[in-house]
Amino acid sequence: MTDTILLVAVVAFPLLAAIVSLVCPDRYQIALALVFQVVTFGLAVTLIARVLQVGHIDALAHWLYLDSLSSVVMLVVAIVSVLATVYSAGYLRHELLERVIKADELRKYFVLFHLFVFAMLLVTISGNLGLLWTAISATTLASAPLVDFYGSHEPLEAAWKYIVLTVAGSLLALLGLLLLYQSGVGPLGNSYDFSIPVLAGAASHLSPTLAATAFLLVLVGFGTKAGLAPMHTWLPDAHSQAPSPICAMLSGAELNCAMLGIFRVYTLTAPAAGAATLRTGLLVFGLVSMIVAVVFLISQRNFKRLLAYSSVEQMGLISVGVGLGTPLALIGALLLMVTHGFTKCLMFFATGNLLLRFRTTTIPEIQGVVRAMPWTALLLVGGALAIAGAPPFGVFISEFSIISGAFAGHLWVLGAVIAALLLLGFIPLVAPFHRMTFSNAETGGEVAQAELSAVTLLPALALLGAVLVIGVWIPGPLDQLLHHAAAVLTR
Amino acid sequence: MALAEAVLATLILIATFGLLIARQVRGAINCYAAQSILLGGLAIAMFAGSRLPHLLALGLLTIGIKGIAIPAVVRFQVRGSTYQRREIAYYVGFPTALLLGAGLSLVGLVAASRLPFHPYLLSEPVLGLAIAVILLGLFTTMARRDAVLQLAGLLAAENGVLLVGLVVSPELGLLIEFALVLDVVIGVAVMGFLIARMHETVASTDTSELTRLRG
Repeated sequence: MTDTILLVAVVAFPLLAAIVSLVCPDRYQIALALVFQVVTFGLAVTLIARVLQVGHIDALAHWLYLDSLSSVVMLVVAIVSVLATVYSAGYLRHELLERVIKADELRKYFVLFHLFVFAMLLVTISGNLGLLWTAISATTLASAPLVDFYGSHEPLEAAWKYIVLTVAGSLLALLGLLLLYQSGVGPLGNSYDFSIPVLAGAASHLSPTLAATAFLLVLVGFGTKAGLAPMHTWLPDAHSQAPSPICAMLSGAELNCAMLGIFRVYTLTAPAAGAATLRTGLLVFGLVSMIVAVVFLISQRNFKRLLAYSSVEQMGLISVGVGLGTPLALIGALLLMVTHGFTKCLMFFATGNLLLRFRTTTIPEIQGVVRAMPWTALLLVGGALAIAGAPPFGVFISEFSIISGAFAGHLWVLGAVIAALLLLGFIPLVAPFHRMTFSNAETGGEVAQAELSAVTLLPALALLGAVLVIGVWIPGPLDQLLHHAAAVLTR
Repeated sequence: MALAEAVLATLILIATFGLLIARQVRGAINCYAAQSILLGGLAIAMFAGSRLPHLLALGLLTIGIKGIAIPAVVRFQVRGSTYQRREIAYYVGFPTALLLGAGLSLVGLVAASRLPFHPYLLSEPVLGLAIAVILLGLFTTMARRDAVLQLAGLLAAENGVLLVGLVVSPELGLLIEFALVLDVVIGVAVMGFLIARMHETVASTDTSELTRLRG
């Protein structure tokens, strides 16, 4: 009963926050957001601790379901959301001071922000597959107006492309889910509960052809939302036009929600369709994503688009990790969902500071950050090394596990190709941030020689600390969660 | 009754073709409205045969929300010059669009015939028609340059998915209907908002004006 209340509360709080935010005076919006998001974070952590104790929570006739696989995503969503709230407080205050936005726009921002968090958390606790689809679609609908928040030509273009492509993807995913339902009609009858536990119980008796087709459609459909190439074209636009805290949530948290949808259907269809067949699909889409991302990373002049293409690369690698299917690769892929989420969030916070100070996203136009903003410079260089996969950060450990997993499975060529792609992407990711930070030329007299505020630094510093710690020592509960989640993927 | 259902499903496909070849925004919205009313009619025809009460609810909901309310909202949003404008802009040529549309319909029919399908209330050819409707709707979205027509394509494809839901399981169809109604209502609101923003920003709903983001 307590678990059920916790599950309901973790989505009810952000939803309530959105409703209260709608009627709350502008001057209290930030404080309100902080209170509600901190409480939501506390509830999420409590739930994850419960999952570690009891294995999974199944409530309200399978409508709500949380296991270790979805807990990994919930952990990332909860941490990224609460830190994005704190960062938003500093970021939006600065934009208000600079008159980039007006005070009455805070309401629109936070109502959509809370709805976005609500939708992402609903993805993680959905036990019914219809609800899961609805929640993933809702993440698009809540975040598209946030992509268009600044209301000029480019954000509008990005938001339109984002919504059209991801809604089209959602429809294909829904078609896949309907075929998945049909695949269970043989063992479960014409009318059955379309939930994860029920389908998992009959997974080996589903129709193999329908299950494989269903997975392929879900992979393409939710893969569009996850930014897998070649359906990724909306991602660099949307992730570069939204306000920086929203970019952090889109890249750090939302992409993981779409990946969860894919992996959930993978676990349900693999026993009937054959894990090897489905893993081939994950490998193909993953490798294509990595190749496309590396090509665009090399030619990038906009630092937000650079980070967006890095997300395409990392989502591709997560897909490859699960596609490899060896225990090491699975742990690596799941750890990468966490470490990429944290590191990309950190990078969007750090580049958000750059954007606030320099008012440009063009790499050659920014120089001498180390003098103007020493703490932001530390975050930029540390974060760039971390996201590119340099030791001793968490992303390195994740990538190392995936490559080791490939070698452990005697997939030598595949392991070498993954390593080569990661190496090819390393310099294009690190060099621009190094150049912006350490190049000596002055940027002009109008740029003040000071950081913005502690609020715009502390969330990013906390994340840098976290990815550093995970790189040298994975905390026991996280390690346990990852192993349990890997077991769900191989069940 | 099976004949009536087959005729209605075929008419749904024809209405989707109408959407693909419509020369005006007004015509495209009318085709979507007709497609939705036919879909609602199909659910009601299934209710008449099976007496499953939620099929009646589903049919009435579809006619009310998708056949009447959403087209009215979209007509209101695009009132004025856009609504009357002759819209012949495709990313591909018109004959090519027609040819590809016909090809996609065939793909849908063939794909459905290859799937090991358990017939329930509707037969396998309806599944083929439904998949053809989805493909045509998505193709309309990709081929058209006007934002309103892209939206109409997506909405038509959603009707195709609902038709698949009716074929697969009428019980599940209700769940999917609620999910889609939610999605459509919010989606139309969000996309309608963006279309209105397009009017303000580029004084048009032609998405070929939105090409600044590259690389």
